[in-house]
Amino acid sequence: MSNTVTQDQLADGLRTLPRGSALVIKMGNTNYVDTYPAALATILRDYVMEVRGRAIYVSVTNPASLLIDLLGSMDVPVNGISFVDVTSYLMVAKGKRSPNISYVESPTMLETIMLRIEYLLRKNPTEKPVVVIDSISSLAIHNNGGILSEFLHVLVNTLKSSGAITIILAVAEETAPEMENTLSLVCDQIVSLATPGGG
Amino acid sequence: MAATALERCPTGIEGLDNILDGGLPRGNTILLSGSCGTGKTTLGLEFLVRGAMAGERTLFLSVTEASQKIVENLSTFEFFDHKLLEENKIIFIDVPILFEKLGLSKEELTPEDIDLFITSVSNLAASLKIQRLVLDSVTSVCFRIRHEEKIRDFILKLGKSLSDLSCTTMLVSEIGPQSSRYSQYGVEEAIADGVILLGNVQRQGDLLRTLQVIKVRGTTHSRAQYVIEITPLGILLAPFLKGGRRDGGNHE
Repeated sequence: MSNTVTQDQLADGLRTLPRGSALVIKMGNTNYVDTYPAALATILRDYVMEVRGRAIYVSVTNPASLLIDLLGSMDVPVNGISFVDVTSYLMVAKGKRSPNISYVESPTMLETIMLRIEYLLRKNPTEKPVVVIDSISSLAIHNNGGILSEFLHVLVNTLKSSGAITIILAVAEETAPEMENTLSLVCDQIVSLATPGGG
Repeated sequence: MAATALERCPTGIEGLDNILDGGLPRGNTILLSGSCGTGKTTLGLEFLVRGAMAGERTLFLSVTEASQKIVENLSTFEFFDHKLLEENKIIFIDVPILFEKLGLSKEELTPEDIDLFITSVSNLAASLKIQRLVLDSVTSVCFRIRHEEKIRDFILKLGKSLSDLSCTTMLVSEIGPQSSRYSQYGVEEAIADGVILLGNVQRQGDLLRTLQVIKVRGTTHSRAQYVIEITPLGILLAPFLKGGRRDGGNHE
């Protein structure tokens, strides 16, 4: 995939990702409102549901319940998606109980996020899911660069060796140069998503 | 001359076995130390269940809690099968009942009482062909022994008698949250073949359960600190991330 991609190019690129790959999708701050839902539709509906069948979605930017509503409004089925909600407890507002949502107390509990992903991987060991981190920028609000880089290094390499595909969402303007370096080091590709309809 | 690798007793907890280079050396006596709520009993139980699932006979000696309550906790493991209890692959014995049967009613155990207790446990392990044993907790037994030299003798003899049966043993050791040692009396850790430390570490207000293998004789092992999570699939381990460490926890 080239550096800046349209939604269609992203969809095509995702289908060719080999097992164990790690991809960073950067979105601009100014066009985030348009790009974010489009990216979710491409990743979850056009790729995960059509091609892979299963995803683990680590939701840091939004509570999982809100995300499920958003996906529902876009006709994205969520039955094959296990959500790891890292935000709701932080707001002291536990989301709804659902078998496909598990809650992590705080975005600073990075090891717990890793363990929750590992649990979900072990629960269905024959499937190789797509693991989506939404987003590294939201995690960076709560964690310093050092520990976040360490987290990415361990997590991405663990997922690579398990054969899972990792997709990390990032807000371009919110990604510090050190984080950019870490993402380049541990991930296979970094792409910027163009505004839908903007080419 | 090449060193001979000791036979392993895999704990069945994958992350821990990786740290231990395949598992505990069979016949070792391991001190499982930690403060309240760190997962000592759960780890001990998983060690037994995994062994029972692999065909071994296992024994849980409960000193502080009624066995029935502990058995109920086993059901939280998705992999636990009640058949293991029916087939006596996992046997629970309440130590207070054993003490009563042995007539050990005095508050402080004499050297003869201690020998009687060790012989009883050893005979039980031999007759039931026990290959894994958990004593929860050794601290409660030591509380009735009191004197350091007697505690040293007790652990030495108990460990030796079980090791002679190739029984791998975990002795649960209760310590305070800020303890700088691995046992209540400070002698248990010196006698045991190994020490696995479970802790609660505070980081930016988060309380993380941790595991660290302090020593295990007869194997090379990691001494790094890991974060653990107790899940229906058993105990899972992840490396403790050091980048953001702000404040200390146990043994820091």
